[in-house]
Parts: sequence; C-alpha cells; structure tokens
Amino acid sequence: MKWNSRTRCALVCFGFILLFSGFSFRLVYLQMLKHDEYAGLAAEKHVYKQTIYAERGVIYDANSEVLAHNIPLQTIVADATHLNDVDAIVDLVGDELKISKAELTEKLRGERRYIVLKRAVPETLADSLRAKLRAQNLRGIYFEHDSGRIYPNGSMLCHVIGFTDFEHHGIQGVEASMDEYLRGQDGYRYIEHNRAGQEIVLYRGQERASRNGCQVHLTVDLNLQNIVENEIDAAMREYSPKKATIILMRPQTGEILAMANRPHFDINLRSEAKPEEMKNRAIIDMMEPGSTFKIVSAAAALNEHKVKPDSTIFCEKGLWNFGGTALHDHRPFTDLSVKDILVKSSNIGAAKLALSVGDQKFYEYIRRFGFGERTGVELPGEIAGLIRSPQSWSKISITRIPMGHEVGVTPLQMTVAMATIANGGKLITPRIVKSITTSDGKTISSLSPIVLRQVISPQTAREIGDALRGVVSDRGTASAAAVPGFVIAGKTGTAQKVDPKGGYDKDKYVVSFSGYLPADRPEFVGLVVLDDAQTKPEQNYGGLVAGPIFSRIAERAARYLDLEPHEEIRKALPVERVALTNAPHH
Amino acid sequence: MNRSRRKNWNEVNAASLARWIVLTAFLALVGLSYVYLTLQLYHLGDRKKALENEVASLRTQNNVASVQIAALTSRSALQRRLKEGYLKMTPIAEHNIVRLTISARNPNEDAIQPVANQPAGR
Repeated sequence: MKWNSRTRCALVCFGFILLFSGFSFRLVYLQMLKHDEYAGLAAEKHVYKQTIYAERGVIYDANSEVLAHNIPLQTIVADATHLNDVDAIVDLVGDELKISKAELTEKLRGERRYIVLKRAVPETLADSLRAKLRAQNLRGIYFEHDSGRIYPNGSMLCHVIGFTDFEHHGIQGVEASMDEYLRGQDGYRYIEHNRAGQEIVLYRGQERASRNGCQVHLTVDLNLQNIVENEIDAAMREYSPKKATIILMRPQTGEILAMANRPHFDINLRSEAKPEEMKNRAIIDMMEPGSTFKIVSAAAALNEHKVKPDSTIFCEKGLWNFGGTALHDHRPFTDLSVKDILVKSSNIGAAKLALSVGDQKFYEYIRRFGFGERTGVELPGEIAGLIRSPQSWSKISITRIPMGHEVGVTPLQMTVAMATIANGGKLITPRIVKSITTSDGKTISSLSPIVLRQVISPQTAREIGDALRGVVSDRGTASAAAVPGFVIAGKTGTAQKVDPKGGYDKDKYVVSFSGYLPADRPEFVGLVVLDDAQTKPEQNYGGLVAGPIFSRIAERAARYLDLEPHEEIRKALPVERVALTNAPHH
Repeated sequence: MNRSRRKNWNEVNAASLARWIVLTAFLALVGLSYVYLTLQLYHLGDRKKALENEVASLRTQNNVASVQIAALTSRSALQRRLKEGYLKMTPIAEHNIVRLTISARNPNEDAIQPVANQPAGR
C-alpha cells in the first residue's frame, strides 16, 4: 500500500467520520433514549412544586360580626448547610425572636439540617428580621408560610365556634362540623429557580390556583348571646352551680339564637383549658329533665283524646302507692284539671295521664318529641340521650318517666320539645348554620327550616300552651319567670341528681325552666338549666332559681328584638306610659 | 509577475456580496432581537414576581388590619373598654323607645264598613 497523499487524506476523513458518528450516536442516545431520565434529574435539581396556600373561611354571626378570623404568621426555619456566619446569625435571630443564644447555638450547631427556630411569628417581626438578614448578608434562615386562627370574642360562644388543631383542621364546634367548607384547597405551581434560589418566572410550569375556604354564617345573634352570657355569669356568681346551660331558639325556623355553657374557656388560650371546660353541655350532657318532661305526658293524653284540658284527675292527696312504691307530690292535691296538673306540677297527675295513654303509646310520643335521637344540629359530638323501650321498663317506669325520671335528655332536646309546643305541634330541626357563602360572596347553602313531623295537633299544642301560661302566673310554680308586659308560657323542672352509688342524691338538684315568649306569637324559646345550684334547700327549685334567670333574659331579649308588649297587659298599664311607649319619634 | 497576478484575480461579485451582507445583517439582527426580547421576558418576569410579592404583602397587611379591626371592635373588647371608662353608655329610658313593630291589624278593618250617604246639598 502506497502512503500517498490521497490515501492519507482518505484516512483522516475516515477518522473524522468515525469520530463524528460516535458523537452523533452519543447525542441520539442522550437526547432520545435517555431523555426522560436526564430531564427528570435536571427537573429535580431546579424545578419544585410551590404551594399556593388557601385561606380558611371566616365564621360570622347572624349580623356578620366576625367570630373566627385568620392571621398571617411565619415559621422561621434554618438550613444548617446554608448558614454562612453562625455567630452573627445567633446574635441577630436571638435578639429578634427572643430566643436564648445558648439554645439557638445548640440548635444551629446540632446535627440536624432542617431546624425550626420559632413558630407563629407575626408578619411584621418576620419582615423586620428578613430585612436585617439581607442587610448583613446572612444566609441560611428561611421563612415559611403559616397562619393562625383568631377568635375576637375570646370565651363568648366558645363551645359553638370550637377551634382548630395545629394543622388547621377543625376539631370542635362549627370549626369541626363545617371543616369541609371552611378548609379550602391549596393550589400549586411548578417553578424553576436559579443558582441564587430566585424563581425564574419565565419557566413557570403547570399551575392550579388555590380555593379559599367558604364563609360560614351562624344563626347565633351576638347581641342575644351577650345577654345570655351576662346572665349565665351572674347565675354562676349567685348560685355557683357545677354546670349551667342556657339556650335561646326561634321555634318557627329552628334557628339557635344563643347557646352558652359553664364552665367555659377562652378559645384563644385553648391549650390552657381543661377538658371539662371544653364540653358543649347543651348537646353532650345527659340529664334527667324533671317536671319539664310533664308536657310530654299531658300532650300525649290530650292528643289521644283520653282527657280534655278541663278533665279532672284525682291526685291522691299527695301520696300514691303504685307498684309497691310510693309516689309523692310536693303538696296534697286532690282533684286537678289536666291544665292544673301542669300549672301545679303534680307528679301523680302526670303519672295518671301517662297511664291513661299506655306504655307503648307514651313511648311513641316521647320518641315523636325527638327524645332518644340526635336533633341533627350542625355541631359535632351530639348524643342521642337515653330512652329505654317499654320492654325494658320496670313496673313503676310509667309513673316515673312522666315526671322526667328514668330518661336521659340533652338540654337541646328539651328546648326542641318546648319549641314543638310553641310551634303548633311541629317538630323543627334546630340549626346553628344560617348560610355558607364562597369567599367572593356567592351563597352556596342557606337555612331553610326542616319540619320533621307533626308531633301533636295544633289544637293540642294550643291547649298545652294555655296550661303553660298558667305555670307563669301567681297560681303556678314559676311566677318569678314572668316578664312585665308579656305573656309567657313555660314549665319548671326540679330533678334530684342521680347518685353514682345508686338511687338519688337528696341534696343535689338539677333545676331548669323552659319557656317561650310571647305566648301567643312565640319569638323565641328559652331553656335555663343549673346543675347543683348552691342555695337553701327550700329555694332550690326550677321556678325560684332558673325562672328568674329566664325572666331577666327574656326581658332583655324582648327589648332587643323590639317585641310589642301584649295588648291586654298594655291596656292595664297607665295611659301615660302606653302613650309614651308608642309615641312616634320626632 | 504583475500580469500573472492580475490574471489570477477573481472579480468581486458586488450583487452577491451585498446579498450576503444583507442576509448576515438580518440574521444578526434577528439574533440580537431574540436575545433582547428574551432578556426583556426575564426582566418582565422579575417585575411580575415583584408585583406578586407586593400584592401578597398588601394582602397580608390587609389581613392583619382586618384581624386588628375585628379584635378592637369585638364585643369583649368594647366591654373591656367600657369597664375601663373609655366608653360611656347610657341605658335608653323606656319613654325614649320608639317601637317600630307594626301591631297586628284588626280583622274587622278589612270588612265593609257601613256608611251613611248624605244627600248632596245644592
């Protein structure tokens, strides 16, 4: 072979062809066969998913007063591998965040890479720290988005509003029951950043906007709630009961206007609250209702046409032996009309009314009034109460249940039962949520009254209502519950507390009053329950303890709701006063 | 020597040269425009980011202000100020209350009322 110039040239060309073919194959291999793998590796280094945070919805009262709100906060964290001057950072961050320098040094010089320095830092403080870090060219400290929940009214309505946990999930009250609506949905965005960690906006990838949580409007009116809270506080000071509950409800719609329990807690300081203080006793406490339950036996007997309002029942002069056990009245009544059985609160009379109806029918009426099942209010943890079926009743149960023993009911169930009388016999589902709106104001759900069933006829409801007016009169057990200018219907309850050792504790009572106002056109139904009020034994009655509390609440609520005094009572007032009351404002 | 060099010279094709110059200039211009526009995009991206940060900051300030307003106008705050004597409230006297609720109408009001028609006097 001759190595002439042509051969050498051909060899060089061949070499180049081989070289560039190699490059080409390598290029094809990297760009086509290995594309996904290397693109993924590159993306891992530069692309990351940035969360766009959604705001939790705000909770309002019926008049759009804020009950729960969000406050933007920051969590200050450090990346130990990015810290450029630990000593300077300790000095600055320690001073700004009020963390001891020894603690901070220990944290930053530890083995962990991701270090949380402080949570729930206010936005202004975080901004100031950010600026100072930048001015001193200190690196390795980062700011993560966070938010806190603020309850401007502190302890007011605490059991209804509830609260959220560390991860902003509702765990009690409306915060829990409406969590699905309040929570919202975080969005995201795929972004690339440069070597300095700054986002390259040009290379933004897929994006989904966040959806803020819905706003929940409650039926509770904070003005009425304030009245109730003041009165329950006054009752706690006066009687020091172990527990107390007050509920106000609009009977026609089932809207809960106010709900307060004691003991209670400040929602903003919930970490300091005891478990006992966090219970919404209106829906999770079971109590024997006492004589307020007599409305059920009277309603059952009247609705079944076993008696008429004026039918007389012999009340055995205050002592009746039934089933080998004595049943007492607080007075030796002889003949009482059905109406007077409620007015005078005769146990024997109520027992005889239930007997006239029979076990099974009486049980049906108890259930129809909503006892033994959850009311369906939008609050978590509600209990159904305890109503045993007639098969498990003892021989004397039919005489004890009508006076509110041997049954367990919640205060809300008792309020709903009274609302049924006020509402012409219709059982309405109580509601605490008035409407739900999106963050831009569109209504997605609004309250509409739910009539569960017609428990008793309107005629029977009217007859019971008439009898309940008599309770709040000089003849009845709750004359102290009267409100000047208004006709009130109501029923007292005084139940001995169950002794954990068995039987009843003779010195401890649950006193209650449930009523509505005005009696002819009820605007609200109220229930006052005090558990173990500390007062003289001769005064520890529903009519004497809970009745006056109801009276004060009803008077203030009537004034707030601008209810017109009853016509007949107005006529009885002096002419000058009526004229002034109705004087047009000039 | 001079004759042979002159003989080997190629003549410059002015039209072709001009075409190439224009093409090169055009390509250069396109390239520079691409770089300029890309830089502009980066710049606008940075401005967009800055504006987004500003909006986020304003929203945060708005939220903080809303929380402060809610806290300061809350019932408990007002009651606290009332106790401290910053606010003074006077209960409305009964004779100053104007009742706006319209009383229920008497059903007889809608009934036909008897009238006595007087003969018109002339």
